[in-house]
Amino acid sequence: MQYSQKVLDHFMKPHNIGVLENPSIIATEGSPACGDQVTFYLQINDDSHVIEDISFQSYGCASNIATASIVTDLVKGKTIEEAKEVSWKDATNELDGLPPVKLHCSVLAIDTLRLAIKKYEIEKGLRDPEPFSKDVIIEELRSVIYPQAGEDIITLKMVKYVRLDDDGTVYIDLDIPKFDQNRSTVVDEVKEHLEKYPEIKDLKITLA
Amino acid sequence: MERVYMDNCMTTKPDPEVISAMMPYFTDKYYFPANFVSTGSNTQNDLAEFKQIIANSMGAKTNEIHFTSGGTSANNIGIKGYLMANSNKGTHIICSVIDYPDILTNAAFFENSGFEVTYLNADYDGFVDLDELKAAIRPDTIMVMTTFANHVMGTIQPIKEMRKIIDETNQNIALFVDAGHAYGRIDIDVNEYGIDLMSVSAHKIHGPQGVGALYVRSGLQLASTKHGINRIDSLDTGGISIAGIAGFAKAVQLQFSNLQAHIAKMVALRNRLYEGIKKNIPHILLNGPEGNKRIAHNLNVSFDYIEGEAILMMLDVNNITVATGSACASQGLKPNYILMATGRNFVQSHGSIRFTLSRFTTEEEVDYVIEKLTTIVEELRSRSPLYEKNK
Repeated sequence: MQYSQKVLDHFMKPHNIGVLENPSIIATEGSPACGDQVTFYLQINDDSHVIEDISFQSYGCASNIATASIVTDLVKGKTIEEAKEVSWKDATNELDGLPPVKLHCSVLAIDTLRLAIKKYEIEKGLRDPEPFSKDVIIEELRSVIYPQAGEDIITLKMVKYVRLDDDGTVYIDLDIPKFDQNRSTVVDEVKEHLEKYPEIKDLKITLA
Repeated sequence: MERVYMDNCMTTKPDPEVISAMMPYFTDKYYFPANFVSTGSNTQNDLAEFKQIIANSMGAKTNEIHFTSGGTSANNIGIKGYLMANSNKGTHIICSVIDYPDILTNAAFFENSGFEVTYLNADYDGFVDLDELKAAIRPDTIMVMTTFANHVMGTIQPIKEMRKIIDETNQNIALFVDAGHAYGRIDIDVNEYGIDLMSVSAHKIHGPQGVGALYVRSGLQLASTKHGINRIDSLDTGGISIAGIAGFAKAVQLQFSNLQAHIAKMVALRNRLYEGIKKNIPHILLNGPEGNKRIAHNLNVSFDYIEGEAILMMLDVNNITVATGSACASQGLKPNYILMATGRNFVQSHGSIRFTLSRFTTEEEVDYVIEKLTTIVEELRSRSPLYEKNK
């Protein structure tokens, strides 16, 4: 398993690294506990909604730094509507691919960008804050990548059941075979992704 | 600078003299041992000589040495063989949460096969809790397993104290020691330490990969775990590379002929590396003990605010090979279990780098690593939001 030359180039000499002075919006995703965290700083033109400048900071591995770097390249100069269309697969392809266990880095970078745009839109009254629902949970689980397949667990139909009770208890049934060595990693990732929702009071994961 | 290899805990560069000693067994003397026929009996004589060299290196008798196809084979043959042969005396075994994976996976295997396992905790520096050991021994305990020198933190376990605790029970409990990382870096006499079974590996001391040895104290019963034709050794049946064994013996001769000098050299360079890092780089943490309770060639340091895989990759680009306990560098995306079990937090585990030196390491290499590491840590910290926050 190796990194592509492009990943190494962006890792060694990342583009748009550092803090932006007076940005329109800042967003952070990931956590030090998981070993990766990205912060994006965006300067957005309030009239044209063009991302005029963007920078990032990273606590993470080589691919974490490289994916954040390539995402800044991909969206700089684009409108926020265009930027929303950039996917983690686009970022991965632009880097000539990533090892399967590193695809979650690409997802993290795109998630952080989308969070920044969403925060900006809410702040500027361009959209309403989303009410918390089962759909939000399912959407969030699209960011959990099953390492071996390089696809998310919703697409792979590994999530069999999701329920959100009025008291904030969330029930998730996952279909991952007992012998699967990625089992506990996936469970940890699901917990990590849902941690940021204060609406979730209790999370009960059942493994088939 | 040519590649600076500081991952000697993983494997070591074979000594050129080792390669030379192996060559005749590839080209001319490729025969398996056999009686009467000159080709085979010559091999028999050579193997006896090699066995004597290994035995001498640890104060053992030749009939107590078994050649194996590597350290993990030795661990499996020793642990499984002893437990299977002695399960009528009891089915309780003891090891520690920080033991080498060979011990832990074998313990888990026996746990699934009707044995009970007590996993001892270790303190912040990686020492097994001796009070816990004392309390864990039961009438049905038949074996205590430990790792002589920890492969991550370099901690040398108090083997003699462990033996003493076992002996005080007046029970017949075997002490199994994985000495893969200690052998050739500490003077080990199996009788002085009271070791009953011990595994060692050639490629950790500049010998070839795929060959090791198991020491089994005379009189101990081991069941067969690998059935087949007895070519070289009755416990590890089938063919074991004779060239490999020849290389192993040569590696032992080279490492042990001047053992104290080799140890002193590795300690001096390791200390130079640590002092250099301490002087140049703030916000670091030494993982494992200081001084002579740490194995000669191991240094493990955590760098705050940054992640180990990124450090590892940048060092690699600069022609330096090290290892990290970060989750991001592992297949299972989990931080190192030993660093976590001994009280480090996630960030400290993710930010850990293990440097393991050898008798070939030079002062220039150490200084080069200090220089590059200083720049790299500074660069990565400048990119880190965690460092920004703590400035």
